Amino acid sequence: MEAPISWVREYTPVACSIKEFEDVMTMSGSKVETTRVLGGSVSGVVAGKILSIEKHPDADKLVVTKVDAGSETLQIVTGAANLKVGDFVPVATDGATLADGTKIKRGKLRGVESNGMLCSIEELGYSRSEYPEAPENGIYVFTEPQEPGVSVVSLLELYDEVAEFEITSNRTDCNSIVGIAREAAAAFGAPFTPPDASVKEAAGGSASEYISIDIQNPDCLRYCARVIKNVKIEPSPLWLRHRLIACGVRPINNIVDVTNYVMLELGQPMHAFDADGIAGGRVVVRRARDGEKFITLDGNERALDSSMMVIADPEKAVAIAGVMGGENSKVTAGASAILLESACFAGANIRQTSKKLGLRTDASSKYEKGLDPNLCDYAVNRAAHLIELLGAGEAAAGISDNYPEPKPPVTLPIEYDKINALIGFSLSRDEIDALLTRAFIEARGGVAHIPTFRADIELQADLAEEAARLYGYDKIESSASPAATAGRLSRRQKITELIKDTLAAQGYFECVTYSFESPKAFDRLLFPENAPERRAVKIQNPLGSDYSVMRTTPLNGMAESLSLNCARRNKECRLFNAARTYAPRDGGLPEEKFAVTLGAYGEKFDFFDMKGAVCALLDVLGIKAEFLAVSDLPYAHPGRAAKITKDGVTLGFIGELHPTAAANYEIGRRAYISALDGDALIESADLSRRHAPLPKFPAITRDIALLAREEVPVAEIERAIFERGGKILESAELFDVYSGNQIGQGCKSVAYNLTLRSSERTLTEDEAAAAIAKILKNIEEKTGAKLRE
Amino acid sequence: MRERLEKLTESFRSELADAPDLKSLEETRVKYLGKKGEFTAILKGLKDLPPEERPSAGVLINETRDFFESALEAAKTGLSRKQLDAAIELEKIDVTLPPKRRETGRLHPLSQIIREITGIFIGMGYEVAEGPEIELTRYNFDALNIPADHPARDSQDSFYTTDGHVLRTQTSPVQARTMEAKKPPIRIIAPGRVFRADEVDATHSPVFHQLEGLVVDKGVTMAHLKGTLSVFLKELFGEETKLRFRPHHFPFTEPSAEVDVSCFACGGKGCRVCKDSGFIEILGCGMVHPRVLSMRGIDPEVYTGFAFGLGLERIAMQRFGISDMRLLYENDVKFLSQF
Repeated sequence: MEAPISWVREYTPVACSIKEFEDVMTMSGSKVETTRVLGGSVSGVVAGKILSIEKHPDADKLVVTKVDAGSETLQIVTGAANLKVGDFVPVATDGATLADGTKIKRGKLRGVESNGMLCSIEELGYSRSEYPEAPENGIYVFTEPQEPGVSVVSLLELYDEVAEFEITSNRTDCNSIVGIAREAAAAFGAPFTPPDASVKEAAGGSASEYISIDIQNPDCLRYCARVIKNVKIEPSPLWLRHRLIACGVRPINNIVDVTNYVMLELGQPMHAFDADGIAGGRVVVRRARDGEKFITLDGNERALDSSMMVIADPEKAVAIAGVMGGENSKVTAGASAILLESACFAGANIRQTSKKLGLRTDASSKYEKGLDPNLCDYAVNRAAHLIELLGAGEAAAGISDNYPEPKPPVTLPIEYDKINALIGFSLSRDEIDALLTRAFIEARGGVAHIPTFRADIELQADLAEEAARLYGYDKIESSASPAATAGRLSRRQKITELIKDTLAAQGYFECVTYSFESPKAFDRLLFPENAPERRAVKIQNPLGSDYSVMRTTPLNGMAESLSLNCARRNKECRLFNAARTYAPRDGGLPEEKFAVTLGAYGEKFDFFDMKGAVCALLDVLGIKAEFLAVSDLPYAHPGRAAKITKDGVTLGFIGELHPTAAANYEIGRRAYISALDGDALIESADLSRRHAPLPKFPAITRDIALLAREEVPVAEIERAIFERGGKILESAELFDVYSGNQIGQGCKSVAYNLTLRSSERTLTEDEAAAAIAKILKNIEEKTGAKLRE
Repeated sequence: MRERLEKLTESFRSELADAPDLKSLEETRVKYLGKKGEFTAILKGLKDLPPEERPSAGVLINETRDFFESALEAAKTGLSRKQLDAAIELEKIDVTLPPKRRETGRLHPLSQIIREITGIFIGMGYEVAEGPEIELTRYNFDALNIPADHPARDSQDSFYTTDGHVLRTQTSPVQARTMEAKKPPIRIIAPGRVFRADEVDATHSPVFHQLEGLVVDKGVTMAHLKGTLSVFLKELFGEETKLRFRPHHFPFTEPSAEVDVSCFACGGKGCRVCKDSGFIEILGCGMVHPRVLSMRGIDPEVYTGFAFGLGLERIAMQRFGISDMRLLYENDVKFLSQF
């Protein structure tokens, strides 16, 4: 909402600097976004009278003028051809500044001294659309004589300050100059004088003779009309034009300008119809018919449907209600009488219509926020008043008014204690009454009388806000909130933080990816047609198909991130992600699962680097998990992937991204991903720790080198070692795996360093030997691996 | 005897002084003090002396021998140190060569901000609440007193799933869920991911993060809200931060306010960042709307509460000097490793 301050001041005498105005308005709830100054940079430009015009001795296209600029007579050279002696023109004197910041200095033009410049309207920061009397190319000439030397900034009303307000959705009443003026009056505690809406009604006859109103659609809450006769269409006076311009509305003619002026001033959209265009003098507000065609004022044909509402006569539609009038009832120069509409329509209807038609107008944007029906008659009177004031026409007596369910003002008992308790101040009844009254809520005898334009006030909390904001939020004393609760993170949250910290400590950077992605992700990840992952929650109104399904797996986000890093030529990259995936569930919200995902690539990075990070994480979480080779994960390299399980529960997978998938993401090198089920990790985590006594007796260590078949996983050998190791086997550390020349085809050498120790005594060599023998026997039985000779 | 010992001492001293290394020192030791060394010979010669001279000669021999031993020891220590010094000299390294290290990762800047804010509120007695990201419209809108025809519900602003759920547009539904699940006193914050149908640009993202706070108890006032947010924002932005509470409107709070903090860039003097206002808008807050309480079965005649919500991206962007929001979601390690 843009409001010229001079216009606001017409209704409330707020005398202060623009800066103070901004602050006070902002702190009382009408936030000023920006202020701009119109004509602000123009200075040193005065009215001047042309005394003489002579040819330039050296240039055909220039003339030399003598101009009476008040305090002195100036010789000025100009190229303009539209001047004659006796014209009053804007003169930029030596040292003047034009609207674009240009400084004018005295100088010589082709050898002739020029002590200033005569200005066009453009050089003063405006155009012919605002000052239609200005010539197309040439110097602005005042339509009336002016006193030489007087600043043109005041003569042409170039200067104004315009504040742009952020209006919250509950305060539709503030989308108007009067609304802002009321707020200013409330904020400054200043008086408020409403605009004059008295109508002389000099035309004779009454509106009801001309017009009857038939409301057939309940979305029309009220329809008021006045009839204006003896219409004289011409340009509006400067003051009115100027206000429209300051608000960004282009002046057209006095009648249209008045309707726009009232809309800006009171927030009530108005429309002027040519009364002759309304057949039978009967206005019908009805649903449009499906497929009904209508040509709007802008010359476009619109296809309507029955959800829309039209203003019609018995024969045809003349306007789309609340949106735009029709070509067929446009006010033209020859109009003998006009009908001024001031109506109230349900906001939702107008919003939908405007959206469906793709036609958003000043009127529709006002209506869609919801207006006060009690404003209609006042607004139509104000418009008639202005038309009379401009001499643009004369009103017939009375208003044709159809108001099926008048909206009465409401009252609310004021609960002073509750208001004080909610805010945390202690104001007296009188103080609260005074604050409310300032907000145009008359408070007397413990009752608040709410004006109908404040439909947002329904409860004590609303009254409390009015009192508090005018008292000043900043003046409310802060106090510490008594903490009656212990602050903490839940176990789940603590473990989540631990997971993130551990992965970061392992060298992985946390990444954040979008929750929605392209359905093509499933193809890129090589999921078969029937994969359950493809069953995803779909977005009805996505930003595009690339963002149209909620992810069911974190793999795509990770692969995309790796891909971006490749494209950015980052030589290595280790990422992790802790976020949700979404699985559809019949009848109810989708299941949101917590996924912890690692992704990495790098010249020296391999499967076991990532396995190291995963194992470190499992270690920190107190989870003893197993890694089992899997070859059936579509997105993973079949020979380089493992399922991670604990007691039969799958915790996730780790593996190399399938080379085809990697190619689909243009990763162009081996990449590794581990997707862990975060919920399962949290569930299985065991953060309890107990101290075990430190060893008192020496250990015996033995190295064993085994000859195993190539396909035997070392995990099986290890399991065999521990199965028969007994209590004294402290650790078995793999230190070498070798296959090559000295080893037979299809075989490998696997070497372990075993540590044996008793917690009760020093082991003997014989005990150690016996234990090793048992272990070797079991290894051979379970895996076929033998001690290497 | 005395003469002999003096001669011996002289030759010992010169050998000691000339010994180039520990090995020749050892040779010297064997020569004089060894089993077959000079002293053994001298001691053997003792018996040839007249008996009355023997005690004094014995004392002299022992004193000389003690001197030899300690001199040898001192020479040995000296030589060892010299040798070590020489070796150390050779072992010199260039300590400015790059380190061998496993690079550590980092939490995402947003996570760091969430953790920092969470820490502040835990200290004030808050718990951290969570809720689903795909939400029932009942919780995302109705429970927050957002009327059925409110533009926020529009599909231009909010994402809907094909089965009619909404990707939560704010963390506020967690308020509603918490009030349903818990009896007052309630003190929670709810950080999380939210969604709005905004095209991606330097300051918008269809996925972003918010943090919500809710307190419901007997006797909670707007003064408490101010006190709480002032502690929080000064902790987050610095003790010298100035706050400004401006009246505003949200459907789920009444009275409502927006809070501005003094501009980070200019400290309140006015600059390009704050559009000359000296302040930056940072959060929305207010007293929980009585209808929001009663809809969740909390009697607004008995309990009052306050709520607040803030966007986390802009706080992270301010904190770390990030000017383009897109960087937060690209996951370029060159970016992520900066925090």
